[in-house]
Amino acid sequence: MSQSRILVVEDNPKNLKLVRDVLTYSGYEVIEATCGEDGVRLAAEESPDLILMDLQLPGIDGAEALRQIRLNGTNADVTVVAVTAFAMNDDRQRAFQSGFNGYVEKPISVRGLPQQIRDFLSLGGTA
Amino acid sequence: MVEVPHPRRQGAFSEAEHEKLQRDFDALSDQFDAADEVLSAMGRSAGDPETVLATIVESACRLCRSQAAQLYVLEDGVYKLIKAVGLSKEAIRLLAEQPMPIDRGTLAGRVGLDRSPQQIADVLADPDYGRHDLQRVGGFRTTMGAPMLLDDQVVGALVVWRNEVNPFDEREMTIVAAFAVQAAMAVNGVKLVQQLETRGVELAKKVEELEALREVGEAVGSSLDVDNVLATVAMHAVELSGTDGGSIMEYSERDRCFMVRNVYRTDQAVVDRLRTIRIDLDETLVGRAAKLRRPIAVPDLGAVDLDAHLQILHDDGWRSLVAVPMLREDQIVGSLVVRRKRTGDFTEEALDLLETFASQSALALLNARLYRELKEQSLELELASRHKSEFLASMSHELRTPLNAVLGFSEVLLERMFGDINERQEEYLRDIHGSGKHLLELLNEILDLSKVEAGRMELDYSAFELRSVLEDAASMLRERAAGNGLELRVDVAEDVGPVYSDELRVKQVALNLMTNAVKFTGEGGSVLVRAVRGLSEIEITVADTGIGVPEQDRERIFESFQQGGRGSSREEGTGLGLTLSRRIVELLGGRMWLESEVGVGSTFGFSLPARDRQVAGRSHDDQVTPVVGAVVVIEDDRPSLDLLTAYLSGAALEVTTARDGQSGLEAVRRVRPDAVLLDIRLPGIDGWSVLQALKTDPETRDIPVIIVSIVDERARGVALGAAGYLVKPVSRDDLLAALRGAGAPVPTGDTWEETEVRTT
Repeated sequence: MSQSRILVVEDNPKNLKLVRDVLTYSGYEVIEATCGEDGVRLAAEESPDLILMDLQLPGIDGAEALRQIRLNGTNADVTVVAVTAFAMNDDRQRAFQSGFNGYVEKPISVRGLPQQIRDFLSLGGTA
Repeated sequence: MVEVPHPRRQGAFSEAEHEKLQRDFDALSDQFDAADEVLSAMGRSAGDPETVLATIVESACRLCRSQAAQLYVLEDGVYKLIKAVGLSKEAIRLLAEQPMPIDRGTLAGRVGLDRSPQQIADVLADPDYGRHDLQRVGGFRTTMGAPMLLDDQVVGALVVWRNEVNPFDEREMTIVAAFAVQAAMAVNGVKLVQQLETRGVELAKKVEELEALREVGEAVGSSLDVDNVLATVAMHAVELSGTDGGSIMEYSERDRCFMVRNVYRTDQAVVDRLRTIRIDLDETLVGRAAKLRRPIAVPDLGAVDLDAHLQILHDDGWRSLVAVPMLREDQIVGSLVVRRKRTGDFTEEALDLLETFASQSALALLNARLYRELKEQSLELELASRHKSEFLASMSHELRTPLNAVLGFSEVLLERMFGDINERQEEYLRDIHGSGKHLLELLNEILDLSKVEAGRMELDYSAFELRSVLEDAASMLRERAAGNGLELRVDVAEDVGPVYSDELRVKQVALNLMTNAVKFTGEGGSVLVRAVRGLSEIEITVADTGIGVPEQDRERIFESFQQGGRGSSREEGTGLGLTLSRRIVELLGGRMWLESEVGVGSTFGFSLPARDRQVAGRSHDDQVTPVVGAVVVIEDDRPSLDLLTAYLSGAALEVTTARDGQSGLEAVRRVRPDAVLLDIRLPGIDGWSVLQALKTDPETRDIPVIIVSIVDERARGVALGAAGYLVKPVSRDDLLAALRGAGAPVPTGDTWEETEVRTT
């Protein structure tokens, strides 16, 4: 496998830019979606290796987007990681209950994110 | 006793004498019998004076050989006939129509004036006699009588008469006088009984009223169900005033009109109609009564001008009513209206009673109004509080989002992702990053505090090692402490076992206290963190050798945005840390305290309730799951740890967690679990070393270890003695199957009802 493809679903353009910069810098190919619906569509069309999904999104929220991705025929087993705000304990609980494979906390750690992504990608590989 | 005269001793009695003696004897004997009869009647009928009086009149008539006898009582200065024998209806009517006054025109009048028995030998021959009308009807000629005296007061008269001129003798006058005395006593008895009866009825009525008032009062005081209270008031008001129906109206100061609140025995149709009209303060009877501050009675609705309210009542067949204003401290609160289907006056008593009821109702209505306002206010408050919470949640999201960009981009530049930066640029970027982090911290604390205040802070209870939490917090400060030349030490007593609390929150509090201690302790000082086990709680103290907190600041520093006088302004903080920490500790069932000496140092402490071996369940899961086994989970990644703990406690396993290799080993040695779940990538000694250590120790050798790792090195794990190997992410079924395979007591029944977690 060459470059891993990561779909980032994030509605805030600056945060999206930040995640894209960090991931691109770390050598990943980044696909962007700014709403849940686009996220679901791109998850099927682009078959990313990993999806980073913000929980609070305009339109359908992260949990609903995840549900639809899981219902899709193609790429339904993709590793999907929730992006939650720190100190939002209930968000974290909900993320697990909704079936996310894991979460990363906001604010993202620029230094730590690449390592977290590597860990999650290795998850997907052994599934 | 009646004395029988002795026959003379010398000579015989003549026939005439004998006869006279015999007659006298018979008369005396009669008299004796009569007296006896009267006495026995009185004895028999002590409680029935009527019978006694009848006996007296009847005996007097017979013993005095009269044609008629009458008993009068004096009422309002005239004689009223109460008992009679031998009197025609005509005579009785005449006596009733024209009662005799106390004057010389009648015999009864004369005995009353003179207070002594007397007779009129022939009324036709007496020039002063004034009742020839009565004489013509009664036909009497000689009349005799005696006054009835009681406490020297004339209360009546006993009179006998004969229809021929035949004066009464001394003996007969004595009899009548004696009977009059008895009659006076009997009449007094009657009066007493009547008074008693009246009093009894009055008392019974009073009791009833009091009872009703008590009931109403109780209802007013105890029930917030206003309609119920008003219904009680309306019912009692109607029943005690002897009316047929009633209503209670509430007055609206703003609208200057009355609204029907409650009715009793009134057609629903009428109530509906009453509710459609405006019962104006200025244009209705109800309003007039309220303005006059007194009840207004209308004895005949047909005879007055009808306002809208009265018209509806009149149409429904109501004929009389009273409108009683309900007042409270002279303010109009409402109106109580009781009505009858027939015309008629209302007694003063009834009006008094209604006024009392009206004041009770006023109280009930005021209570109701207060209650309603309170309810509205609390609804508003609830709404406001919800808005506040929503506002805070959204604000925190809205503020956090740009902050994430500030922190992230400054970090990107500091990481030199897009090329090198000079020293000044780096310094400023650090300032941007540091300020952003401070802002974020502040934001989090405000959010936390508002959650605590709103009672919405969710606690996530689990059993954990206090030592690792305190070490963890200390390690975050070590660099800074070293930079300040401070010694930072953690000392946890041996007997401090696992704590059952919210691990993140405990760490938050400990970190806050430690950060403060490091912040306020000068070069060369020390910060000592200790945990000891008390009787029923575990005490955690953070002692520093800093500048101390002056007495007057010791309470203040726990308040929001108060940093106390113990630091220079160079130290930045949120000013919320201690406030939040104390609230969190209280929420966790502990307390927080401060001991300090200026110039020597401060010791901040907090306690946590000590509980042994608790099931690590979710805090919101109320039902207690019976524990069938114990598992130690050694895992540094919080999300993974959360997930594994959730799986295990769902399967009725007690979970002890450790976040690094060293404390993991200690936990296994202490808990002696049925199984160990072990992560490989761990801070400090890694999972492989932990496995090796466990397997080489005879004490722990037989405890099955299941490796749960992102790294798939199954062969190495098995070679080192692992009983199972799971690659993350792990499903619940895989985990429980592996535990079962390793011989851990895992129930096979499906005790798990949470959402299934997907595996990939």
